Amino acid sequence: MDLPLFRHNRRDRSVAFKEYRSEGGFEALKRAITGMTPAEVQQTVIDSGLRGRGGAGFPTGKKWSFVPRDLPGPRWIICNCDEMEPGTYKDRVLLEHNPYSLIEGMTLACYALGVRHGFIFIRKGYEQAAENLARAIDEAKKEGFLGERILGSEHSIDIDLHLSAGRYICGEETALINALEGKRPNPRQKPPFPAVKGLWAGPTVVNNVETLANIPGIVVRGAAWFKGLSMNPEGAGSKLFCVSGSVKDRACVELPIGIPLADIIDGPCGGMRLGKRFKACIPGGASTQFLTAEHLKVPMDYDPVAKAGSRLGSGGIIVFDQDHCLVEATLNLITFFARESCGWCTPCREGLPYVKEILARIEAGYGKEDDIDILREHIKYLNYSFCALAPGAMAPLDGLLRHFEDEVREHIVKKKCPLKK
Amino acid sequence: MPKLIIDDIPVEVPPGTSVLEAARSVGITIPHFCYHPALAIAAACRLCAVKLLDGPVKGIQMSCSLPAQDGMVVSTTDPDALKMRSLVIEWLMLNHPHDCPVCDEGGECLLQDFTIAGGHSRRRYVGKKRTFQNQYLGERIHHEMNRCIECYRCVRFYQEYAGGTDFGVTGSAGRVYFGRFAEGALESPFSGNLVDICPTGVFTDKTGRFRARYWDYEFAPAVCQHCSVGCNTSPQNFQRELIKIVARRNDQVNGWFICDRGRFDKEYLNSPQRPRDPEIGGAPGEYRLALEAAANRISEFCLQNGAASLAFVGSGRLSLEGCLVLAELARVVGAPFCYFTESAAAQGSLAAVRLLNEQNAARVRDIEKAECIALFELDLMEEGAMLSLAIRKASLAGAQVFRVGGAREGEKHPLPFRYQEVATVDEVPFEGGSKGVVICGAGGKSPELLSYLASSGAKLVMLQPGPNAFGAALVSLERKGATLSDLVESGQIKAVVCFEADLPPWLLERVEVLACADWKRGGLTEKASVLLPTTTWVESNGTSINYEGRAQRFLRSRPAGLPLKGLDPKYYSSETEAVALHPPRVHRNYIPGGAEREAWRVMADLMLELGGEPVNEPLTGRWGKLRDLDPEGEGVRIYDLVSAQDLS
Repeated sequence: MDLPLFRHNRRDRSVAFKEYRSEGGFEALKRAITGMTPAEVQQTVIDSGLRGRGGAGFPTGKKWSFVPRDLPGPRWIICNCDEMEPGTYKDRVLLEHNPYSLIEGMTLACYALGVRHGFIFIRKGYEQAAENLARAIDEAKKEGFLGERILGSEHSIDIDLHLSAGRYICGEETALINALEGKRPNPRQKPPFPAVKGLWAGPTVVNNVETLANIPGIVVRGAAWFKGLSMNPEGAGSKLFCVSGSVKDRACVELPIGIPLADIIDGPCGGMRLGKRFKACIPGGASTQFLTAEHLKVPMDYDPVAKAGSRLGSGGIIVFDQDHCLVEATLNLITFFARESCGWCTPCREGLPYVKEILARIEAGYGKEDDIDILREHIKYLNYSFCALAPGAMAPLDGLLRHFEDEVREHIVKKKCPLKK
Repeated sequence: MPKLIIDDIPVEVPPGTSVLEAARSVGITIPHFCYHPALAIAAACRLCAVKLLDGPVKGIQMSCSLPAQDGMVVSTTDPDALKMRSLVIEWLMLNHPHDCPVCDEGGECLLQDFTIAGGHSRRRYVGKKRTFQNQYLGERIHHEMNRCIECYRCVRFYQEYAGGTDFGVTGSAGRVYFGRFAEGALESPFSGNLVDICPTGVFTDKTGRFRARYWDYEFAPAVCQHCSVGCNTSPQNFQRELIKIVARRNDQVNGWFICDRGRFDKEYLNSPQRPRDPEIGGAPGEYRLALEAAANRISEFCLQNGAASLAFVGSGRLSLEGCLVLAELARVVGAPFCYFTESAAAQGSLAAVRLLNEQNAARVRDIEKAECIALFELDLMEEGAMLSLAIRKASLAGAQVFRVGGAREGEKHPLPFRYQEVATVDEVPFEGGSKGVVICGAGGKSPELLSYLASSGAKLVMLQPGPNAFGAALVSLERKGATLSDLVESGQIKAVVCFEADLPPWLLERVEVLACADWKRGGLTEKASVLLPTTTWVESNGTSINYEGRAQRFLRSRPAGLPLKGLDPKYYSSETEAVALHPPRVHRNYIPGGAEREAWRVMADLMLELGGEPVNEPLTGRWGKLRDLDPEGEGVRIYDLVSAQDLS
């Protein structure tokens, strides 16, 4: 099987520049600069059907097309590598093995959109990845793939690495832009969207690492090839899935998008751990609803997972077994979100600690019948917060009450956690 | 013009108006905390939720950040919107300490009002409340962080609107903290506005805490008398004591805010040192007797020396009414009168009034929308601090600001905007001048210099040396007033009668003071043989004209007399028995220390004593049009009443 993202990976180290180059690396950039107009590159990306791999799944080409063509002044591309969603570690694995695809993809994106200067916003904890990227930028510059007059053409493109202080909210694109400008990472009011008014008030595209790393493959092999990678007729490309929880082998693997959930768990992950049965999983990072055993056949692509009542998200799958208390698991996630709220809007700042307090009480055996109603109110009204953090935080809670309300009620009735001895 | 329907009421508003403001325009108040008309939209508190039933957007939306569009059908009372709003209140109340009885904001608290209005009355949350350490923020503002509802109004005002840098927001999630990096007095000269702008009791006025509740205060529209900008204020009095001063909105003058000087410099109004009883030869006496004594001294002096050797002296501290009656009084006696004591200062003020007209006198809007602003040799933060906020607005919108002549000696506060230093005003690129503004102080400038500045074609701000110095200069031109130093140096004048005037020591040495009427003590009141106490602006009705020629009416907000707090025991113990009773049992039919009168009334009474006509209405002739000036309006520019050219 063709693995465009992981095909350069070495077992236990990062791929070297020479190796990447000899395996066809930077050919896409060469082809674009020498034989394609920026508009053609953009059209190829639109045709490929590539959707944003950060979690929302917004079509990348469409996002690019929102950038006004004729606006004077600088425009920017930012690579979002603030990967902080619990259960998600695909970008780290990708960058620790191969920083070059990102650099090449990002340079192509800069070329397509007429951007002179791109930024990689990387989370503080990703030291190895940052080191790799810094090295890759240097090498690419030395070889003429980046910097002044790329490959002898009149195009000059620079990429800077920004090691952030690291907060979950920095993954929200407008908060990321504020952080990059040196401000508090509070999200901005939309509209105007970043594509029109973003970094330093210039048009700005913010893309995920995996999204950008897919672009060299699309440019060099074409949109049709990319679409053909999918196992799902409507899907396009491959997807990195990072699995954790009760599976035998917790791994980050590249698989065709649209692969059924069960095939991920039973295939590369080697099935459930000994004596454990699949109870539920979070399919795409902490801000997605639970999928249960009845969803095991769901193709892991954006639309089918949405139809199943959840989201493909970032592809960070957390698997729970029959001995896991999902109230406790949800409490754990909500604790994370409550801590990571930026504190800007009331529902998120005050509502999440409220939910956390209720879940903690239910888990400890002090839950009340009314608590479920209060939780439902929060699931509904936290949607009206300033950005997507609070609605995302409510997704696992929503899943909990949708699929496991009996388990929650059991906690309240028995006045203890039924899964604890 | 978008047309929409809010709660069945059709509304048409200019494009760009938010739904919240559109609702406000038809009298519907949508609850809000973070929204403030003067600040950028934050959409942080989420209290202004409404439900859109039909139109381009549907469902629950925040009305503060939603521009009104054609075809919107908005419901502010939809159960869904009500539920959202009650939840927001519940969320904010999770951590609020509910300490209203010991909070100075109680009774004027937006959070209190909207909590009651929202119907949140039962606590469901059983967790602990978060608590913070408060900071010492100086002697004027008290910090109580536990009450905070994180509306971000304070930091948006302090940093974005006022350009302060020493106060901000730290922390995240439930630990968002509004304060300084380290404890210490707030540095911004506009810090007092945090008290007004905070929707709850995080920032309260330390100088007037725990004295009275909102409903106890005596209020009236007032005009600040500290400089010639003429900001609109509301003094809050309790039992004849001024407790607090808060800003009053006037978009043509000060917007929503005032400076710290206007808010906190108020001790002199309650001061026990203020002259309260008339004095004849240093001994307290009755008003009637003091008036007679003053009239006798004036008559005797005129008989011996001739009226021309006596001068009636006022100042830019007098109201317009005072200025006009002073001229009348001088006419009755046949003596000269003046509002300016030194000729250098007088020349500048008079020249500024002559130069300004309806076209070239800059309004605050002109400053805010200017493209090029020159500050000419002045300490703006001292002479008209509020204008710096208008300049900041212009500067943020891209205007170039130039400072001519560098910083003045003893400047206390940095200017809250970016500027370039230039050596002369010729270096300022006004380019036609229509969007340019020159800002200078009028006092002490030569008429030639002021005319030269005016010739740039830019709009003009010429700050006057007193709250009503513009008015005084106008009356001086109209009624042919003199300047005291000229009269004294020519040897013509031997004695003065002063009304709220300030004489420099060298002038004071050279004249006899027959009588003096003032509300503060100084060299003049020491020297005067008769002292007649006058009321301050808090106890007076009057009109003052600010630097741009805007006449504004201020009203009395408390009766004259000593504050009840700290009242001398002599007023509540018996005059015959030495026993002080508690509670006071001695009843009087007058207010202790209440013999002060407005300066123009003292003048009018003196005029009557001296054989003149009674004055019941000081605003006569061309000034009569100012009689029905609305004290709560925006004021009127006087240029259509009087053009300075026809006075000169």
